[in-house]
Amino acid sequence: MNENIYIPKLAKIIKIKEEVSGSRPIKTFRTQFIEKNSFSHQCGQCAMLSVLGKGESMISISSSPFEKDFLQFSILKMGRVTSALHETEVGEIIGIRGPYGNNFPIENWKGKNLIFIGGGIGLAPIWSVLHTALKKKKDYGKLTLIYGARTSKDLVFKEELEKLNEKMNVHLSVDVEEKDWKGYVGFVPQNVTDKKPSPDNSISITCGPPIMIKFVIKALEELGFEDGQIYTTVENKMKCGIGKCGRCNIGKHYICKDGPVYSWAELKTLPQEY
Amino acid sequence: MEKILTKKSFPAWIKKLQSYTVYSPEKQENLWSYEVIQNPDKLNLEHLNTVLAPKKIIYPQREIFLQFNTSKEGKPQIKEVLPEEHPAVIFGVRPCDAKAITLTDKVFGEEPKDPYYWSRRNQTILVGLTCNPPPSPNCFCLSVGGSPHSKEGLDILMTDMGDKYHIDSLTKKGEKLIKAAENLFKPASSKDKKELEKIQRESEKKIKREVKDIKNIPDKLKDMFESPFWDEEAMSCIRCGICTYLCPTCFCFDITDELTSTLPLKGKRVRTWDTCQFPDFTMHSSGHNPRPDKASRLRQRMLHKFQYHVENYQDYLCTGCGRCISLCPMGIDIIEILNKVIDHE
Repeated sequence: MNENIYIPKLAKIIKIKEEVSGSRPIKTFRTQFIEKNSFSHQCGQCAMLSVLGKGESMISISSSPFEKDFLQFSILKMGRVTSALHETEVGEIIGIRGPYGNNFPIENWKGKNLIFIGGGIGLAPIWSVLHTALKKKKDYGKLTLIYGARTSKDLVFKEELEKLNEKMNVHLSVDVEEKDWKGYVGFVPQNVTDKKPSPDNSISITCGPPIMIKFVIKALEELGFEDGQIYTTVENKMKCGIGKCGRCNIGKHYICKDGPVYSWAELKTLPQEY
Repeated sequence: MEKILTKKSFPAWIKKLQSYTVYSPEKQENLWSYEVIQNPDKLNLEHLNTVLAPKKIIYPQREIFLQFNTSKEGKPQIKEVLPEEHPAVIFGVRPCDAKAITLTDKVFGEEPKDPYYWSRRNQTILVGLTCNPPPSPNCFCLSVGGSPHSKEGLDILMTDMGDKYHIDSLTKKGEKLIKAAENLFKPASSKDKKELEKIQRESEKKIKREVKDIKNIPDKLKDMFESPFWDEEAMSCIRCGICTYLCPTCFCFDITDELTSTLPLKGKRVRTWDTCQFPDFTMHSSGHNPRPDKASRLRQRMLHKFQYHVENYQDYLCTGCGRCISLCPMGIDIIEILNKVIDHE
């Protein structure tokens, strides 16, 4: 019999970075497998993380496939497993199985301008594809990031964002006015409308809360983006990761295997139940 | 290979199958259930619908995936727990329940395969029984592509012919069972075969309930996603989930960790059946729920069975056993719903 798909591989946490503190804390974890294995992911894919005794949770991989030394996950503390992960320390061991799902069709985007649009923790799945594009920058056109959160304290990857400014256009926003904030004030979709990215030869990739995605798509449509130029990722509760446990479906699609990456052209044909 | 076995010889056949765990329906406090046969002489194959389908033997309601613990040095360890070797024969399988196993076969057989399911499935031999009369007043197998004498998924189909059984061996696994007691069987004569045909024809006539125009259901449902119809139909649902727990085709599951000790850490990861009828099934940890009400959950159950599964696997995820109708405490009736869908403007 083939390898048992439900058995996680053990991995060590080698670095933990506190991204956001407060009531909605986010931490970034870097992990390394204890034993070599065939785990190899694409941009946009997810992995099932285990805290033994607490259970499993599906998390998007925020490191680029070019990064061979570790897997990175940026995790908002929310439920049982993510809370347990937030209590772990460097050196502790977790379980990982996967990778799961489809991926951003980044090979088809060569020569195009890429506009990344993220909200809150939604920057995590974007981070993998953004860094992959940066690594092969000459293969793509102009790279732009439009990213926002509730407050400046809720922005993830803050230090990296500052450095990123030198390599690509970065437009940050916070939802409400705050002291010393030099970026845009308003919701992410409004910032998109304000920055007016051109749809010419462009692909936009948007991840964030469902309500933000909905309005970003609307804003992009108003700017002239066609359905096939808009990509997003969908999340749902998952247990198996392989299209068998039956809970993450949108219509006939199981997000864990047919998603999480969708073009708006595809997603709009499915029942709007996510 | 068609044979005849007298009812008198039936227990002798069972007794020859010692290398297997043999299951058959048993009446317990007025309810029928597949249980391990203790006394072959008391075997009774005149059972009504069992509460649970034989699915429970291949895909049990709760099973252990793995065990975990921490070593003395604090290092977590994981041990895979696959089902033990367990060759089994199930007698008295209704054709609808056998067909249901062919449906879960497809889901758990799609790559990557489910090793727990297949470990049991590969060791299980299904001996069916023609339904004459139907085991439930709510049987509707004929509407969903089945029949009371369908061979689909079975290794042997037995048909009650009064004082004897007609035995139709359909697979190598079936042949093997007959070879275990070959001298008990006689070849079926042409007269027996005629008799069999007559019984099978009659058995079809005894199915009273029917979904009209089922072929148009998937397309109809597609256009009804937003309809208030689902609110009306789900009104009386008390979200007990029994319709899905008793369904021979429902396969959805949960995976959870169970602790036996926290220090040192010791426990197991288990799979349990789950149901789309519970709010928790789809609720994100943020509290957001894509299917927040009874209407959206009833719609999911119906659309999964009669639209999404058809789109993915070209078959209804329903074999017409009628359990969800007979045992719903609120009288929600899947046949009535489907017939209303067809009439829906």
